[in-house]
Amino acid sequence: MNHKARLARSPGRAFCQPENAMTRFKNLFRRLFALCFLGGALALTGPGLASGTEAVDPHAEPNVFLGAVANNMLAAVKADPKALAGDTTAITALVREYALPYVDMERMTRLAAGRYWREASAAQKAGLVDAFTGTLIRTYSGAFTKVTSGTTISLLPFRGDAKADDAVVRTTISQSNAPAIGVDYRMARTDAGWKLYDLNVEGIWLIQNYRNQFADEINRSGVDGLIEALKKRN
Amino acid sequence: MNNKMMTPVSAASVHHGRNADGRNVGRGKNACHGKNACHGQSACRDQSAGRGKDTCRAEHAGPARRGPSSAAPAGLPGLRPRRGLRTALALASVVVLTACAHVPNPPPEDPYESFNRGMFQFNETVDRYTLKPIATGYNAVVPGPVRTCIHNIFGNVGDVWSGVNSFLQGRGRDFVDTFGRVLFNSTVGLGGCIDVASMNGARKVPNDFGMTLGVWGFNSGPYLVLPFLGASSVRDGTGTLVTLAAPGTITSAVFAINDVPVRNSLIGLYLVDARASLLEDEKLVDQIALDKYSFIRDAYLQRRKAMLDSRRAGEHASTAEALGAAGDDYLPVYEDPDLLPPEE
Repeated sequence: MNHKARLARSPGRAFCQPENAMTRFKNLFRRLFALCFLGGALALTGPGLASGTEAVDPHAEPNVFLGAVANNMLAAVKADPKALAGDTTAITALVREYALPYVDMERMTRLAAGRYWREASAAQKAGLVDAFTGTLIRTYSGAFTKVTSGTTISLLPFRGDAKADDAVVRTTISQSNAPAIGVDYRMARTDAGWKLYDLNVEGIWLIQNYRNQFADEINRSGVDGLIEALKKRN
Repeated sequence: MNNKMMTPVSAASVHHGRNADGRNVGRGKNACHGKNACHGQSACRDQSAGRGKDTCRAEHAGPARRGPSSAAPAGLPGLRPRRGLRTALALASVVVLTACAHVPNPPPEDPYESFNRGMFQFNETVDRYTLKPIATGYNAVVPGPVRTCIHNIFGNVGDVWSGVNSFLQGRGRDFVDTFGRVLFNSTVGLGGCIDVASMNGARKVPNDFGMTLGVWGFNSGPYLVLPFLGASSVRDGTGTLVTLAAPGTITSAVFAINDVPVRNSLIGLYLVDARASLLEDEKLVDQIALDKYSFIRDAYLQRRKAMLDSRRAGEHASTAEALGAAGDDYLPVYEDPDLLPPEE
């Protein structure tokens, strides 16, 4: 964990820290690169995130809050050899610990269920939230199976209105020797501070992607059938 | 994996079939792609599209039947791969005919759902017996760094085509950035093997002709599952067709290679690489999707829309800020059941 803390500075260039011998080559490449393109069009993206465990403040600015959450999650995966090797059980446990507390699962499920939510009994609602939580955890864990020690998360500049009650924070996950992946987080302001409720990977919003499936399944076999179907995969 | 030796050849043969069929379906598309898989099946009351019924006659043969015969003259060495292909196609055509599910109320974005689901099953079956096992073997046998290298080299060549499309879309900065990527990766990145450009924050701007048509103002049209190629739309399928068939595109450059074994090996390797890189994602989809068909459909439509929105909104998509430029106007609007008139 310690060297991670040392990495924890310098926006946008976390991957350039002297972590190992490869870094020198990367630095060289970077200079060549800068020469090639005069630093203009292809400049490093946005401010980067520090790695290491940070205090999460749900009442902070959206990008500060999200930065801490995402960054802690990444650092935790990197620090756990099993998780780093892609062990889903290990990653799942970390997601539960580092990400889930900041997710409004009820809201997420409610929006995915849409109008069918109102037809559900209180017990069905609870069951649905519980079952969908499993799906979310698997989805988010899946994103971390490819993490290597070279993976970094960069926050893009926050463009929304920081006073709004609904905010989107955009990030990119940079991997060594592969194109970066765009991941956006949507959050709502609650009494307890910001709570995440939707996730976008490369242009695909999670809730949006479940609305049709939820509706189809409920039409076919009711809310209980949907809970059953979700649980079957848990 | 003792069939590993055959990999490039058999995969190439699949490609030929795919090619020919993509063309067939592409031509018949405007008239009736809601029909052709089901045509002539009395048991199959496919009314989902509710139109183009009589224009469908010409499509009677269907993609599955035409596949092998168009693949045959492609000059493939050896009989075995061709026979394997034929078996797979015969098997899969049975699946198409039997899996012609009637979907009573297809969503507006997918009026051809009945046909599409049949084609989806067909593709899944073909894949299960051909590319998927090969790709799995490839992943098991070839070391990770080598696979990454191969994947990046194809990605680098693909960037050329992306860049051309950025140009066609009038997106100068994406064009320059993408060619900067190609130049940098081709030289410092050892022919594309190492994606040094991405490492240095030069974002890949994926682009294709379907997207170009979108930027030019063509609507996506209904969702369409292409034989062998999978998720697409009428517009994107047309784009794919043009890319495969028109002179001067990246695929025509590959098909212009005169050395047939080299050409087929390249195509085969490309297909195996493309499939292998999807294995992990597919595993995840299998784990999280309630209905794989609609999961993939909705993901495809969302992603294409997001790509198009960002191209229409921002001046350039390749820098970080422009990615956010599509902005909150394009966020999905969810009706919150709890905020609707009282109940709880």
